[in-house]
Amino acid sequence: MTTFVVVGAGVAGGTAAAKLREEGFDGNVVLIGAEDVAPYERPPLSKEYLRGETSEPLYIRDPGFYEENGIDARFGVRAEHVNITDRVIELEGGERVAFDQAVVATGARNRRPPIEGLDLENVFDLRYLPDSDAIREAAKNGSKAVMVGMGFIGAEVAASLRQLGLDVTVVEFFGTPLERVLGPTIGGAIESLHRDHGVEMIFRDGAERFEGNGRFEAMVTKEGRRIEGDFAVVGVGVEPVTDVATDGLTVDNGIPVDATLKTEAEGVWAIGDVARHDHPVFGPIRVEHFDNGMKMGEHVAKNLLSANAVFDDAHWFWSDQYDAEIQMSGFATEWDDMVVRGSIEDRSFSAFLLKDGQLLSTFSMNRKFDVRRSMPLIATKAHPERAKLEDPEFDLRELHPPKE
Amino acid sequence: MAEWVTIGSASTVPEGEVMSFGAGSRQVAIANVEGDLHAFDDVCTHQQCSLAEGDLDGTTIECPCHGSQFDVTTGEAVHGPAVDPVDVFQSKVEDDGLKVLVNDE
Repeated sequence: MTTFVVVGAGVAGGTAAAKLREEGFDGNVVLIGAEDVAPYERPPLSKEYLRGETSEPLYIRDPGFYEENGIDARFGVRAEHVNITDRVIELEGGERVAFDQAVVATGARNRRPPIEGLDLENVFDLRYLPDSDAIREAAKNGSKAVMVGMGFIGAEVAASLRQLGLDVTVVEFFGTPLERVLGPTIGGAIESLHRDHGVEMIFRDGAERFEGNGRFEAMVTKEGRRIEGDFAVVGVGVEPVTDVATDGLTVDNGIPVDATLKTEAEGVWAIGDVARHDHPVFGPIRVEHFDNGMKMGEHVAKNLLSANAVFDDAHWFWSDQYDAEIQMSGFATEWDDMVVRGSIEDRSFSAFLLKDGQLLSTFSMNRKFDVRRSMPLIATKAHPERAKLEDPEFDLRELHPPKE
Repeated sequence: MAEWVTIGSASTVPEGEVMSFGAGSRQVAIANVEGDLHAFDDVCTHQQCSLAEGDLDGTTIECPCHGSQFDVTTGEAVHGPAVDPVDVFQSKVEDDGLKVLVNDE
């Protein structure tokens, strides 16, 4: 019988395994995950779950789904190598699982910057369920949080901690939140949102060391500030987990895959945060969004069953901060024009990022329709007129390509 | 127990649009697809957003929060993150009143 093995049980791997069954595959499906829990959604860990508005993880499928659907789920087991020569996955403890086709979905892990005192008690980072539990517990017992990094995770955690009533001070290396990815204009809008909600932000500074007698007491910054608090949260980005790619799999900012999500090794695929995908619109990119993980999981399942289709999703994510609904679609590392629709000052706007007139990415705060309605334009490399982008009344669906 | 509840007039929901109405203890969305009305539970099964605030494309409604898609004719979740379907209800136009057959949750 044919055996498909999925290595990694986050949203991408979990979705891939589930989708294989939902598409009718009746061979063996093995799902291997290092976390001792069924696949769950990570986005709530910085939002509803962190704030204690829900006490259960948001599972991508009911935890009983895997057994009920004959999926050999190994949760709490780490895969060590994808052995291409012998076509087996080597697990910790020495077990070997033979595969006909394998999907690498090992995700990403938080960067651990070399900061003195990073191992002190009450210095946290956030990626997994127990991380969120620990920060929530510290927030219950404390009143002052010190944070490093104002990317999306940092911004969401800062917002949630403020909503829980804590004082929050953040140091950020760049000049605004998210400046490196979104530029100073959009970054400035996010800064103003957090300032109005009482977050103290210190820019162009970073953590030099954490101090405390076994337990966090204060952060000393590179510029010499000393910021005391009850606990610290570090959010300075992630790196792809490529440890399993030891034999015959190239690693280059993730595991490179072609447009259909195939690696260079026959019958081995990679999806989610670990995959550096040759996207038909954006070129080779590695994307760390929940939605991308889910969609790549669905897509690879169909391709394992010989659909052989190109993955061309325009990419999309959301980030709720306080009462602001933030969404973004597309992908842009550089742009030569930014068209704003609505009012940045009123926090109801969309920003369209263009290069040579081509729409690459759309960001919105409290104007979410523009973002999703941009996706068919981004996917077809459209060059929309500026006047139409600027007009808040213009419905972008009028520019969509006709349905096949 | 299921009962017919009048929620508006027959012309309330324009073609290609979706609107949300209170009906008993439920919040019901009505989609007008080329003149045919389809009634379904307005609450997304993923994280409880209002589906009526999303875009309708043919018979597919897309949740504005996280992108889940449902077929308004069957309630089936055709795209995640939602997995579970939404309830669908019978609807009819009677004496120019738009009515849906709902049971309390």
